Amino acid sequence: MTFAFRKLAGMVFTLVIASFVIFAAMYAAPGDPVTFLIGNPENLTPERIASVRAQYHLDEPMLVQYWHWASGVLTGDFGQSFQYHQPVSALLAARVPITLSLVAYAAVVLTVVGIGLGIVAAVRRGKAADTAIVGVTTLAASIPSFVLGIAFVALFAVELRWFPVAGAGSAGLDRVYALTLPALTLAITALAIVSRVTRQSMIEQFSSEHVEAARASGLRERYIVRDHVLRGAWGPIITMVALVIASMIAGTVAVETVFGISGVGSLLVDAINTHDFPVVQAVLLFMVVAYMIVTTIVDLLLPVLDPRIRRRTVSA
Amino acid sequence: MKKQHHPITATIGVLAASAFVLAGCSSGSKGDDGDAALDVPFGATTPAASGPLETVTWMLGGEPTTLDADIDATTADDTVLANVCDRLMQVQPDLTLGHGLASDAEWTDDTHLVFTIRQGALFHDGSPVSTADVVWSMQRHSVEGAAESDEYRNVVSIEQTGADQITVTTSQPDAILLQAMAGDGGIVWNPRVIEAEGEDFGSPGSASACSGPYQVTSWEAGSQLTITRFPDYWNSDVEPLADEVVFRWADETAIANSVTTGEAQGSFLENAGAARSFIGSADVSVYQGPSTNAWVLETTDRGALTDERIRQALSLALDRTGVAAAAFGGLAQPWKTPVGSGAWGYEVDTFEQAYDALEGAPAKPSDADLAAAEDLIAEAGAPSAPIVVASNGSSTHNVIANALVAAAQSIGLEAEITVIPQVQYGDFYSDPELRGQADLWPDEYYISKNDPLGFYKNGASDASVNFGVFSDPEYDALVDKGYAATDDVERAEITTELQKRWVEHAVWIPVVATPSTLIMSNAVTGVPSSAAFIYYPWAVDLGSAKG
Repeated sequence: MTFAFRKLAGMVFTLVIASFVIFAAMYAAPGDPVTFLIGNPENLTPERIASVRAQYHLDEPMLVQYWHWASGVLTGDFGQSFQYHQPVSALLAARVPITLSLVAYAAVVLTVVGIGLGIVAAVRRGKAADTAIVGVTTLAASIPSFVLGIAFVALFAVELRWFPVAGAGSAGLDRVYALTLPALTLAITALAIVSRVTRQSMIEQFSSEHVEAARASGLRERYIVRDHVLRGAWGPIITMVALVIASMIAGTVAVETVFGISGVGSLLVDAINTHDFPVVQAVLLFMVVAYMIVTTIVDLLLPVLDPRIRRRTVSA
Repeated sequence: MKKQHHPITATIGVLAASAFVLAGCSSGSKGDDGDAALDVPFGATTPAASGPLETVTWMLGGEPTTLDADIDATTADDTVLANVCDRLMQVQPDLTLGHGLASDAEWTDDTHLVFTIRQGALFHDGSPVSTADVVWSMQRHSVEGAAESDEYRNVVSIEQTGADQITVTTSQPDAILLQAMAGDGGIVWNPRVIEAEGEDFGSPGSASACSGPYQVTSWEAGSQLTITRFPDYWNSDVEPLADEVVFRWADETAIANSVTTGEAQGSFLENAGAARSFIGSADVSVYQGPSTNAWVLETTDRGALTDERIRQALSLALDRTGVAAAAFGGLAQPWKTPVGSGAWGYEVDTFEQAYDALEGAPAKPSDADLAAAEDLIAEAGAPSAPIVVASNGSSTHNVIANALVAAAQSIGLEAEITVIPQVQYGDFYSDPELRGQADLWPDEYYISKNDPLGFYKNGASDASVNFGVFSDPEYDALVDKGYAATDDVERAEITTELQKRWVEHAVWIPVVATPSTLIMSNAVTGVPSSAAFIYYPWAVDLGSAKG
């Protein structure tokens, strides 16, 4: 009980600090939101500027502005987007599911392929397959996701026309189909780290005493890999997969832009460029919360999978 | 004018460029990449459509922000609203002014404008468009803080003076008020819908409050917006061929790819250069038409540029053809004035002749131009500090800034570029301190009404975008006279005189005009290729190319 309470208090504290840091950073960033709010330069008269500043509380000290925002959030009101003139919560509600489906899709690909490749590499360590997997995944990791995305669009969407070039599709299977290229793009660049951790963690297990013992008792190699090596190796693998997924949530920006997907990533870029404070604030907080949730799930999951671990946490 | 929102151009600029290369080598549909004269049709419309279409997908540069034009209207908002909302007046594809829900409009004297309102039109909810609704709409547009309220700044009162008559009283003559009634400031709203929707009006899912030939039938936020033919449209002469238009949005590269693969049938591009890869394509055509957009080098009173001889010399030495080729792939026109030919919404011949006679802004500087520029510098004395031109790092801004530096160097002046972050670049209009960091900054400027007077008023000494380099009481008097001239012939004469003075004094340095640019699948046709798509219901002309 105290564990859960301390965990929760820690999260709230992190959120408060994060929201303040984000707010301060936006406040300090160059550029004046009033220019965007008024739009037409012929209307940028001193009177109009003053009235817009007052309307959006931009003429008040930073701490007061932060309080305006924070007190709204406490009552569930994330404010109105400067650019879209809609409640920020409505904007996020339309875009979060798209980004989450993209990340979930990429996570499945990453987990299955990344761990699979890692296992093959570990079992065939030192052989040609191992060298090939390590080499190719390392090469893939060195390609920036937006470059890979552009290449995928050019080849699979424009040239071969297997996939749509832009958009996230409508619901259901159509969405899965439309998100295939973006999900692959996200997953491929992260394959190296997951397959490498899987490989390393398994190789350590191969030389451990309990595996030696199992081998000495004459168990078939495939059972040794499944029941002894992998079982002991799960901890680092899951931790790494979770960290990669958590960072993906914040890393969809480039991929969403290349594939014309209206998710939170493209919303964030757009909002930063137009000084849309309330949207920037909400999107970044969403990313912080998503990160915390993923790492917390891992904290809770690890002891279940590996009883040797007791409340050893991965989150900061 | 309205400033466009610049979404993500800077961050994605490099990315888009590389995408072009990749898309270029893989699609194989490009024609020659040589620099032969570009064979791009230039005109007000595309060939007429001949057959019906069930559905058309059209790409926008961004998601519409709100469909309440009194809050804000981006280019994407306007491209949709043009088909959905009728206005009192209506811009025609050739950018002249026609009638909308007002069947007649007449200045009865210097300060009274009388509208006759068509009776029998229906809103999308089936209720009739009444004269009182029109008054209500105009009053909503004119409320302080409403996006279009500046159009109403001279309006004292709006009153219903007959069953189908509205009289607008102004405090002073305002010759371009009528033009404004074809824009977002002339939209006729359904007050019952707006009052029922309250705060939600204009956001996804809110009901339509207009009477146009199409109505918004769905807006899935973040994904797509669909407009469908309104069967009870009042104007029986208008027979749309397309049953529905589905709007989707993406960045420039994704738009180009969508049209290439046939996932979308067309798009009005925000950057003309993006159409370059479609020239010579067998499946997609590029069309250009008049718009008011022009790239200009705006000037500040920071230093040397307050001397008009320096401005004139720089204007004479600037290689506009080079800019058009390097920054726009040849899809922009070297231009002598700070506003494109789309502004010529009346007395076109007068404006054309006046334009041809202008001097001081050559497409490519001749030896004589350079000699004249050097004489001007000699007379003025070379400035002690280098001339500073700003850029926000986008490729277009960089090309123009570099061209200015090259122009300065060609006539023996020192010049350098300062890079201002893109998020801050717009503050040049509002922040005198930022203007203190540069003598010139390139930007794309446009006006929302097709009357050059709407631009040249900016040369008045009290105009909010006159940054202190130009002040001329005679010019100020001419602006007032222009606004009082409700007669087109007279106003055109005054306006060409203003134009002449502006260019002579090189208040801002004109660079290139960027025509309205449309890419469209060869399967469909009919839409205007001019900038009329912002306010004219362009989808009514859209149809299949084959009968």
